[in-house]
Amino acid sequence: MDLQLLGLSFITVFLAEIGDKSQLAAIALGGSSKYPRAVFFGSTVALVLASFLGVIAGGGVAQFLPEKILKTIAAIGFAVMALRLVWCSDSE
Amino acid sequence: METANFKSIESQKPSQDRVNTVIGHGEPSESSLTIKPSQNCQTSVLQSTVKWSFWTVFSSTFITIFLAEMGDKTQLVTLLMSAESQSPWIVFLGAAMALVSTSLLGVIVGYWLSKKLSPKTLDLTVAILLLFITGWLISDVIS
Repeated sequence: MDLQLLGLSFITVFLAEIGDKSQLAAIALGGSSKYPRAVFFGSTVALVLASFLGVIAGGGVAQFLPEKILKTIAAIGFAVMALRLVWCSDSE
Repeated sequence: METANFKSIESQKPSQDRVNTVIGHGEPSESSLTIKPSQNCQTSVLQSTVKWSFWTVFSSTFITIFLAEMGDKTQLVTLLMSAESQSPWIVFLGAAMALVSTSLLGVIVGYWLSKKLSPKTLDLTVAILLLFITGWLISDVIS
């Protein structure tokens, strides 16, 4: 086990991810949901699966992924969740 | 996290506490007694079981974050590091540990905020934060 490589990849990814979109999403969703644990598991599985696919696919991943379409769908998803929150608390 | 634990166990009581399945902020006792008009927008959630609601939160979180993260910089970093090193699985393990820690931190911060802010302020803050993420994703797509 190469501990140096393990530590290096941990620190790199940790720093890249601090304050990034998905962590902000975890803050927002974890704060607004009754099930913070569901948010934690959902976000962890999503992130680990995404990096797992990255390792599996290797360098080729960037070519065949419809990244823009996926991100657009994600953007719509976040917008819907935001609007639902505003909608529900406004009619109170 | 203790309180969260208690709350979710609490809301697993059947029928009488059904209203608690709403993803909202009302105190359990209060929301199970009064049905406010604001809950109309979540009628479908109301009618379902607690278990369903947990999985709704799980899957909506999973889907949005997974899609947002595909082709994003973290994935690219992992990809490059594993491609360059001789042992990609160690890179993956390190990355996975980092991702677990950052999401745990995020959820803890969110949970802490939800205790500090009033429900209304929290809703607004979360909505703004989610719209900010939406804007960030859109700018990613455009550039």
